[in-house]
Amino acid sequence: MTMDVDTIVSLSTPPGEGALAVVRLSGPLARSVLAGIVGGESAVPDVRCPALRRLVDPESGELIDEAIVTRYEGPGSYTGEDMVELSCHGGWLISEMVVDACARAGARRAERGEFTRRAYLHGKLDLVQAEAIADLIHARSRAMHRAAVVQMERGLSRRVSALRERLVHLEALLAHHVDFPEEDEPPVPLKRVIAAATDMVEDLDVLLATAPEGELLREGALVVFAGRPNAGKSSLYNALIGEERAIVTEEPGTTRDALEAVAQMGGFPFRLVDTAGLRDPSGRIEEMGIEIARGYLGRADAILYCIPADEEPSREDVEFLSKGASAPIILVRTKSDLDERPEASVRKTGGEVAVSGIDRLVGHVRVSVETGSGLDELPQRLPELVYRSIVTAEPDVPVLTRARQSRTLRVARVEVDAFREGLESGLPAEVAATHLRSAESALEELLGTVSVDDVLDVVFREFCIGK
Amino acid sequence: MRSRYDVLVVGGGHAGAEAAAAAARAGVRTLLISPDLSRIGQMSCNPAIGGVAKGVVAREVDALGGVMGQATDASRIQFRMLNRSKGPAVWGPRAQCDRSMYPTVVRRVLDSLPMLDLFQEMVADLLVDSGRVVGVRTRGGLEFVSECIVITTGTFLRGRIHVGGEAGVEAGRAGEAPSVELAEGLDRLGLEVARFKTGTPPRVDGRTVDYGKTERQDGDALAYRFAAYAQEVVPDQLPCWITYSGDGLKDVVTRNLQRSALYGGEIAGRGPRYCPSIEDKIVRFPDAPRHQIFLEPEGLNTSELYVNGLSTSLPAEVQLEFMRTIPGLEDVVMTKVGYAIEYDYFPPHQLNHSLELRKHPGLFLAGQINGTTGYEEAAGQGIVAGINAAMRVRNEGPFVLERDQAYIGVLIDDLVTRGVDEPYRLFTSRAEFRLLLRQDNAPRRLGALARDRGLLTGAQSEALNRRIAEEDRIMVWFGETSLGPRDVAGMLEDVGSSPIHQKMRAVELLKRPRVSARSLIGLAEEPPEGELADEILAAVEVELKYAGYVERERARAERLRGQAAFLLPDDLPYMEFVTVSWEAREKLSTVRPGSLAQAGRIPGVSPADLQNLMLEVRKLRAGA
Repeated sequence: MTMDVDTIVSLSTPPGEGALAVVRLSGPLARSVLAGIVGGESAVPDVRCPALRRLVDPESGELIDEAIVTRYEGPGSYTGEDMVELSCHGGWLISEMVVDACARAGARRAERGEFTRRAYLHGKLDLVQAEAIADLIHARSRAMHRAAVVQMERGLSRRVSALRERLVHLEALLAHHVDFPEEDEPPVPLKRVIAAATDMVEDLDVLLATAPEGELLREGALVVFAGRPNAGKSSLYNALIGEERAIVTEEPGTTRDALEAVAQMGGFPFRLVDTAGLRDPSGRIEEMGIEIARGYLGRADAILYCIPADEEPSREDVEFLSKGASAPIILVRTKSDLDERPEASVRKTGGEVAVSGIDRLVGHVRVSVETGSGLDELPQRLPELVYRSIVTAEPDVPVLTRARQSRTLRVARVEVDAFREGLESGLPAEVAATHLRSAESALEELLGTVSVDDVLDVVFREFCIGK
Repeated sequence: MRSRYDVLVVGGGHAGAEAAAAAARAGVRTLLISPDLSRIGQMSCNPAIGGVAKGVVAREVDALGGVMGQATDASRIQFRMLNRSKGPAVWGPRAQCDRSMYPTVVRRVLDSLPMLDLFQEMVADLLVDSGRVVGVRTRGGLEFVSECIVITTGTFLRGRIHVGGEAGVEAGRAGEAPSVELAEGLDRLGLEVARFKTGTPPRVDGRTVDYGKTERQDGDALAYRFAAYAQEVVPDQLPCWITYSGDGLKDVVTRNLQRSALYGGEIAGRGPRYCPSIEDKIVRFPDAPRHQIFLEPEGLNTSELYVNGLSTSLPAEVQLEFMRTIPGLEDVVMTKVGYAIEYDYFPPHQLNHSLELRKHPGLFLAGQINGTTGYEEAAGQGIVAGINAAMRVRNEGPFVLERDQAYIGVLIDDLVTRGVDEPYRLFTSRAEFRLLLRQDNAPRRLGALARDRGLLTGAQSEALNRRIAEEDRIMVWFGETSLGPRDVAGMLEDVGSSPIHQKMRAVELLKRPRVSARSLIGLAEEPPEGELADEILAAVEVELKYAGYVERERARAERLRGQAAFLLPDDLPYMEFVTVSWEAREKLSTVRPGSLAQAGRIPGVSPADLQNLMLEVRKLRAGA
């Protein structure tokens, strides 16, 4: 059956120097390619019995490396095909030589993502799982990692499949009602059908609640530092990424015009942007900087607005806070060490009054980069603010991390709700049922699979039909 | 005697009768050959036509000019509209028929067709000339030559009847010889063949039933007619009777289970889940306290009753024993024994949508031979096969009904695309456009299609045109007429609908739940002129009332038409499409769908597969 498919090979660990590199083979010829580079059939190890082998050039027989060789047989492998994993020594040259040897022994170099695509085509993964594997590989925060792991373990798929089964079941109740009117069993009361649909809408809402924030997990939420010059933005910015220095990655090239860093706070990914870096006092460049700052502010998921604790908010500050941006704002009173001097207390009170009653102002934090006080509060407040639905969700609720997931689930929700509403307003059940079918196809699209479980099967399983 | 015909139809059941009549109406010389001409259109099982979905099919066959509607009207002895308490999209007209009268009406209609000849003989073999089927040979050695042959042999191909746990008896129906030579002839064509089984219950003498212990079920007093183009005289109406089996029957069946051909291991073929034997019901639903049994009259001139719900393959004496445990049947006398029958069918993925064998152009199969059950399903296939045989003779393109045009279209597409794993019957849940496929609009949906292809007689065309014009006239009235708040206040209150404050068009008022077309016409200052037939008004009401939803379904159907327009050539190298899943590649290679839409209906082909299939085909075209 697998004769017309070729066998692929690629390096599965990042290229470069390292202790180990893993090269994978998948396809019907995996075994014979292996035989070609270990010096013959007799050196091919048993399935799932890792063994140390000498890897040689298939033509010259020259030694390339020694490697641990593990063989898997389809369909019980990652791709569903026969597979081989070669753990050889790391380094640019060795891994390339091994891949090249495999290619000359009958394999083809794999395209990007081809192993996972084969797993999907062989039904080893559904679409959501395949996406999760990509997310897992690219995860830059513990929260993203957790979401991807849940998905890979079929967390979302299982829920969606269960929802689809409930839809099929509802359809089956209606089908029994419509197609077998002369049977002895009374029809299911309409109230129960409506209640079941209502439950389903609620369950879809639970899943959808994580969507906007789940999608942020992949890129990181955008947090923009704003405030007048010398408000302490840059010190705070540096202090915050300094706090998490170990996992901060500067991203040169992502934006040349703003200072952007990726940081993990409370396990969640953030992109921090300091608009201070844009402020150049020399005319034209400043204008451009302001343009860019506006762009960031417009896309921000949260804004940290800095005002020194010993200063009163100016008119400019109040104006920005009331209409400068649409994202929620945390007011950060910087340099709080200055304000702790007793003579500053009066002014502080005045500042609070001036900015109270502004809707977007969702929090108030006092920090001092000098003494370090208050610095641990932001990594706690920001996830609560930006990722609230994920922070507060039940631990077993899968997080939607892709627009495709939320789009299809939203369609399903709209349709199930229209079904419920139709029944309540007296629409005949078979007319309202057109919505169930639309909902079902949305869920099937999400999973990328079609289940064989069909409505009539449920009817015949559960009802004794027989006129 | 003539030995050359344009179309030959082998078999005279519901499929054969419709196929022969359709070809003859289409104007080609047609011969129907059957072993017993007195049994043309015979009802071999339940003496009833119609039901949910099936009733719509009967109406569709009629709308295409077929025989079934007329024969049902002229022989019906009880009529009921099933699902009347539900929405009109799922109403199912159903008629008990007089078993002896139905075939005589079929025969009368066939005899009225000048292009149709009948001949009584069993067909023994196919005439094959260098691989092509060119005619048939009868048992008596007569040869008939034709380019187009429709085979409708029902359960006769290697039929084997089982009563009790013995090896079974070769038979096509009780008391009739099976067709073995023809089955062998078809084998030689290299067709894939499989076995199904079905069953029928015992019949009893109605004079030995104590009706006092049963519930009487009368028909609906509706002037409903299946036939849209002809007015038959409807006979007197009779009641049915309902009783229930209980623990007594369960004991008898359980004790004798090993003597059942089904459970004794004699039968290998698969039977229909929706029409289980009483053995199946007892085994699969052991907790059900009772099973419903309908006693249905066999005709006006007989006291015989059909015992619906007791299909069985248990020995005759066990059948009598379990029947006598049922209230009302304590002293019953059995007139015919129930039995199970196994027969050959040809898995229908070998056909294309015109019901022609893909590998044998000109050879058509219709009815139970394709793995279906039911008179209506057989008739629906028969008429399509007959029309297509005639189209082939006339050198015209195939006549294919789409899934959004007719239940017959759903039926044939399911057969060809999805195949069968049990005897196939229609349900409304098989149709994704059931709001469009109603019994009331069958003439509107299909009449013009048939007329424009020259498939209706002159009288049928005139009746169709009159009917459509009348429906249009009333629909226009609803669109153009407005009613004032005072006209409708009382009526709206009566049906629990909120009052209106300014004039509103009748069509808008009709969309409200529980507001009827008849009541609005009654309240209008200027109602449409003339007598309004119930049937016409009902059709108009449904069309307008659910227009929003019907539109939604139409739009969905149109979208799918886009996929239907993406044609897939017959010789695509599916196994090379590496982006399509394995399962889908295998299925696609077997079915070889004609369009992307059809590909999407094959079980195991996912939306993602469909997407990739489209890309692969585009890639292939770009490369070519």
